[in-house]
Amino acid sequence: MDPRSRVVVTGIGPVTSIGIGREAFWRSLLDGRSGIGPVESFDTRRYPVHLGGEVKAFEAPRFVTRQSPASMGRASQMAIAAARLALDDAGIDSGAIDPSRVGVAVGTTSGEPEWIERFNDRELAGERDLIGDEFLNRYPCHVLAAHVASELGFRGVNLVIPTACAAGNYAMAYGLDAIRLGEVDVMLAGGSDAFSRITYTGFARLGAIAPERVQPFDKHRKGMIPGEGAAVLVLESLDRALARGARIYAELAGYGLSCDASHMTAPQGDGAVRAMRAAMRDAGLAPHEISYISAHGTGTAANDRVETIAVKQAFGDAAARVPMSSIKSMLGHTMGAASAIEGAACALAVFDDRVPPTINLEEPDPDCDLDYVQGTSRALPVETAINNAYAFGGNNASVIFRKVRAERPGGR
Amino acid sequence: MPSAVVITGMGLVSALGDRPSALHEALLGGGTAFGPSALIAEQAGSYRVAEIRDFAPRTYLGPRNLRPLDRTGQLAAAAAELALADSGWTIEARDARDVGLALGTTFCSVRTIGEFDRRAMRDGPEYASPIDFSNTVINAAAGQVAIWHHLRGVNSTISTGTASGLHALGYAAQMIRAGRATTLLAGGVEELCFESFLGFVRAGLVAAPGEGAVPRPFDTARDGCLLGEGAAFLVLESEDTARARGARVVGRIEGYGSGYDSRQATAHSEGENALAASIVRALGPSGPEGLAAVMSSASGHITLDAREAAGILEALGTRAAEVPVSTIKGHLGETQGAGGALATVVMLESLRTRRLPPIAGLEHPDPRVGLDLVIGRPRAIAASRALVTAVSREGNACALVISAADGADRRP
Repeated sequence: MDPRSRVVVTGIGPVTSIGIGREAFWRSLLDGRSGIGPVESFDTRRYPVHLGGEVKAFEAPRFVTRQSPASMGRASQMAIAAARLALDDAGIDSGAIDPSRVGVAVGTTSGEPEWIERFNDRELAGERDLIGDEFLNRYPCHVLAAHVASELGFRGVNLVIPTACAAGNYAMAYGLDAIRLGEVDVMLAGGSDAFSRITYTGFARLGAIAPERVQPFDKHRKGMIPGEGAAVLVLESLDRALARGARIYAELAGYGLSCDASHMTAPQGDGAVRAMRAAMRDAGLAPHEISYISAHGTGTAANDRVETIAVKQAFGDAAARVPMSSIKSMLGHTMGAASAIEGAACALAVFDDRVPPTINLEEPDPDCDLDYVQGTSRALPVETAINNAYAFGGNNASVIFRKVRAERPGGR
Repeated sequence: MPSAVVITGMGLVSALGDRPSALHEALLGGGTAFGPSALIAEQAGSYRVAEIRDFAPRTYLGPRNLRPLDRTGQLAAAAAELALADSGWTIEARDARDVGLALGTTFCSVRTIGEFDRRAMRDGPEYASPIDFSNTVINAAAGQVAIWHHLRGVNSTISTGTASGLHALGYAAQMIRAGRATTLLAGGVEELCFESFLGFVRAGLVAAPGEGAVPRPFDTARDGCLLGEGAAFLVLESEDTARARGARVVGRIEGYGSGYDSRQATAHSEGENALAASIVRALGPSGPEGLAAVMSSASGHITLDAREAAGILEALGTRAAEVPVSTIKGHLGETQGAGGALATVVMLESLRTRRLPPIAGLEHPDPRVGLDLVIGRPRAIAASRALVTAVSREGNACALVISAADGADRRP
């Protein structure tokens, strides 16, 4: 297959605290709804903070039908739901497609942390004897993609890319290449992370969790809020999508990956610049041709300042004119799912010519002086969108989405 | 034109030495690494393991502060150091040009993750360690190796269980072939620890304990694996890059394929075999012609060994009778994420020296296996191309075809 063949997004399956399924998710994003609420999945009384972005409306048995929902952890369940929603959205019948030509790539930060937590509860209670086969069967992170493919019968390339909070972008990037290299015809690419006390403990210990709300780029921002969720995108070649008359949300136009190689948790900025530049070069776009930036925008003091500086460096004079918002203001930080969910938002922005807002942003930080789509969504021509994600380990990943017009060449 | 992918260096730490040639020699002699555990003596009891005794990270990493690296990070950084040194990529060269990393692992450090959470649950979340938190992400080892060795390119972690290390090599080769990167360190790591050990035991995967217990890959009497640990990396480069810097080429990645069978099909060994299709893809148009040997991932697992054998047999067809098959897991135990990378290094050494190690622990081949298994003593092989395979109990399948460089056997 042509290594430069075009790959497009034809199905979007989000599982989020503000909506399950494309329509509910997109409506909530444009309305600026918050999915933050009191943590219910574990007791936070010993913590100084108590809010999280849990997907409280999620019902696994609606989606996990060929395997027992109880045989797997929540991140697998949400990944399966996201995959089913994405396939339905794409109009693909999983039973009517060559299963060996469909791959699954899932990004995650923690895999199924609930199962090491349960292991630990037993161990601390002096009940080591009661630890059974569930730990090995349900915990290792590669079960996420395995459970998705086992549910849907897909037999193509299958892997988990656990590159923390940039993982969704890594998975989509992998999907782009796997299709271009002819490994598969269709790739389900995305990310999933379940709410985890380990993650919550860690960010609480770092003093990084905001007590009330996420306020990216605000002068008074107090941090991030952990969340959970999943999103899967259906990727296929443009030719295949056109041939089957599929609705095309956007082209996955290019990506850039890099590593700071400097600090495990503190963002450095130079790696982010290299990732954005590489993505634009790969997509053949100049900074002034980018219509929208989906920010990593966690709401921590360091991220938002460093990301702003990095965008200015990568975009030069164009930075001030490109709207850039953070949907983490609504969802909190959904970890390995975040950039997949944000990728879904980018594809929808490109398709719908509207961009979601940064909510809770009231008084911009003087160090954060770009256009953050403050408060309410905005209608504008969105030809292209760049999706930024940064992670522990110094990982940086930027993915670019581009509008596909019916009159463009490619088979019609 | 896609770039040809060459191998310009390798490095490893294993329970049978830290030099490819020394490990290969030990395997040729049927040496095994099993004994009582010192790392987890209390929990392992009479179960034998293959651990790296007296691992001395400073031997490889010098006097710098090792505190940020857990055991997984140290094993990975040590093997990476050896591979980079072997390839001639100096730190100055790595500062001048981006080198990427693709690291395969099942758990990264589930010991760090487990300890972090247990401390928080036992003593309170305010006692959780911030430095350990940064190592609870599954890409922590990749991040630490990148920081330690100044690797600023692509930074991916690949998780497919016991196929992770081989998948990481395939992933890296694809990155180079697609023109995404010119140089990547690729391989895998897994430490032996209490959490994964107990998980394997409780899942019924470990051979019966006792003095003299060994794993028996492909044997009629096989009853499970013994757990091991280790790390191995290869330096993969585009042929042009390697030639331009005058690098010594030790081998090539000729082909790669991967696929997936459902968890149910894998557990019950039914249905089509994704490994067979992966091997066919990896072998390419010339098929099994000129194939010198196969290094499988058989570990002593009752159903998985047979399923892997069936996949190899199906893919090689009538040629299977002429191709000797071995595995390193009878010597080194189940090294999980490191296994595929260790196997690839051993296969390269086997091609270089034209001698394939026998399968340790194999006395009475399972008649259903139907392959030319190497029993008792080394087998002479031709110095041409060879196949490395890996499967996971969750259904992942992966195949890599490698060749030794012309003249590599004259290497001092």
